[in-house]
Amino acid sequence: MRSISLFFKSILPLLLFTAYFGIFSSSVSFAQDVGAGAAIFKQKCTACHAINKQVLGPALKGVSERHTEAWLLKWTKNAPAMIASGDPEAKVLYDKYKPTMMTAFTELSDDDVKNIYAYVKAEGDKPPVAAAGAAVGADGTAVGGSGDGGVSNFMLIGLIAVIVIAFLVILVLNRVINTLERVMLRKKGVEVEEEEEIKKDRLAGLKMLSKNKKFIFFLVLLSVILLGSAGWKGMWETGVHTGYQPVQPIKFSHQLHAGVNKVDCQYCHSGAYKSKNASIPSANVCMNCHNYVQATEKYNGEISPEILKIYTALDYNPETKVYGNNQKPIEWIRIHNLPDFAYFNHSQHVRVAGIECQKCHGPIQTMQEVYQYSPLTMKWCINCHRETEVNHKDNAYYDQLLAAHNQLKKGEKVTAAVLGGLECGKCHY
Amino acid sequence: MNKLRLLYFILFIGITILVVSSCGDKRSPGWEYAPNMYEAKAFNPDQPNKNFKNGQTAQVPPPNTTPVGFDRVDEYPNTPEGYLEASEGLKNPLPLTIATLQEGKTLYVNMCSHCHGYEGRGDGSIVKLEKFPAPPAYGTGKSSRGGNMSDLTDGKIFHTITYGVNLMGAHKYQITPEERWKIVMYVHELQKLK
Repeated sequence: MRSISLFFKSILPLLLFTAYFGIFSSSVSFAQDVGAGAAIFKQKCTACHAINKQVLGPALKGVSERHTEAWLLKWTKNAPAMIASGDPEAKVLYDKYKPTMMTAFTELSDDDVKNIYAYVKAEGDKPPVAAAGAAVGADGTAVGGSGDGGVSNFMLIGLIAVIVIAFLVILVLNRVINTLERVMLRKKGVEVEEEEEIKKDRLAGLKMLSKNKKFIFFLVLLSVILLGSAGWKGMWETGVHTGYQPVQPIKFSHQLHAGVNKVDCQYCHSGAYKSKNASIPSANVCMNCHNYVQATEKYNGEISPEILKIYTALDYNPETKVYGNNQKPIEWIRIHNLPDFAYFNHSQHVRVAGIECQKCHGPIQTMQEVYQYSPLTMKWCINCHRETEVNHKDNAYYDQLLAAHNQLKKGEKVTAAVLGGLECGKCHY
Repeated sequence: MNKLRLLYFILFIGITILVVSSCGDKRSPGWEYAPNMYEAKAFNPDQPNKNFKNGQTAQVPPPNTTPVGFDRVDEYPNTPEGYLEASEGLKNPLPLTIATLQEGKTLYVNMCSHCHGYEGRGDGSIVKLEKFPAPPAYGTGKSSRGGNMSDLTDGKIFHTITYGVNLMGAHKYQITPEERWKIVMYVHELQKLK
């Protein structure tokens, strides 16, 4: 036994040395320029790969443990060729992610690829939760600010009811106490006339008050002002929904999407320039970005609960990236509503007149929660139509009108056909 | 004197209630006169509808039919073969004019620029914020399906807008075929930028 331990003692420095050298050499092979790797990674790889989550290809965390460096070099530069050559590791990967196949990056040098994997290793070694705490704090305040502060009608009615009930209870209790006192006094044999005197006094007080002209004047003035202003306001605001801001099923922020991210309004409301409706985007439009964007950094690595609502509506499984059959529409609450007797066409205003969305919808790119900005009253429409000049250039409709007027000036005959009277839709609609 | 105070107190409460209630509730649309004139009898496309099995007004066209102005069903399927067939079989039917290019530009800016960038260099507003990975530049990038981005044909671009590729989603639901051809025309211009 002793000899064995001695043998180990003698060999220990050697072992340590080789181990150290081994680690050193392996770290040398990845001791590349992480910064340069990061640049290439963002340029070439992020379209399909992320460090900590599967995108189109696998998550790259720990990839240098899963494959040898030589294999990774060859694979990264020309994956399709490796799959075609029947490499077993390549085949396993291809079978798992097909029909997606990794692009060939023949333009990358060995050093480029090594830099990329150095960056991947450095990123993969970082603890994932470190940055999350601060982000949640910042987000928490933002969410708190948008909480609803309105006093609901229900609360008001409840308050009035409570006051009225309390008043009634006091009255009833008063009466009960009075009768009880009277009964006690009677039992003692005392006359009860005092009570009537008090009653007379009470009525006298009220009578005095009703004869006080100043008090009556004050009362009448007050009620006139209150009823008058309430009636005036009520009449003007009946049917006008300015400021209406209902709670939507998903806390979608226009401030984030249109303001910060600068996604054009018409990307989602793609009907605005070609149809009567501006159209509420269907959930597949959300998925054009949110198949990737999950805001996990704000929720400690979990998918944002609001984005999860899209996934639930689509019966989408973010792990397997498969859509199920149990799909339900997201029931957004309509804010802008014109009465049935008024016709409004978005495309006419957006495309022909070229009006900005903000002209009617207000500073939508700053609204965390959308509210109705314009009154949408007839007066409001008419005012804009009075002020807006018509841009008749390059507009076939006005060209036709101008041509007809020129014909009239020349003394030529203008028939219904000239004004489009032969179009099928004029009669057969 | 005590009673007068009580009266004032009640009056005060009444006034506060009136003032508060007149502030209005932003969660409610408020009063409506003759609401049956506001709520249309006809169904809007976004409305729920009990007359259909799935409870929605907007219905999908019956199988194997194509509405006018929409895609022919399965002409070029969303497969690698369909992509190559589209490259061979599809040519932009619109003549190249300044007006059409202008429309293509407007559509490109509205529908594509937040990822692909105004000049198609893969540096759109979302990419700059590092919220979404950068797509390859039209002028200098490489296509994930082989070849240079600058060599992409009419059919390949059209197929990609229609069905999407990699992280790009299918855009046939937002952009009609004619609009897609206008965008294709403008993207060809961006391919020339090096």
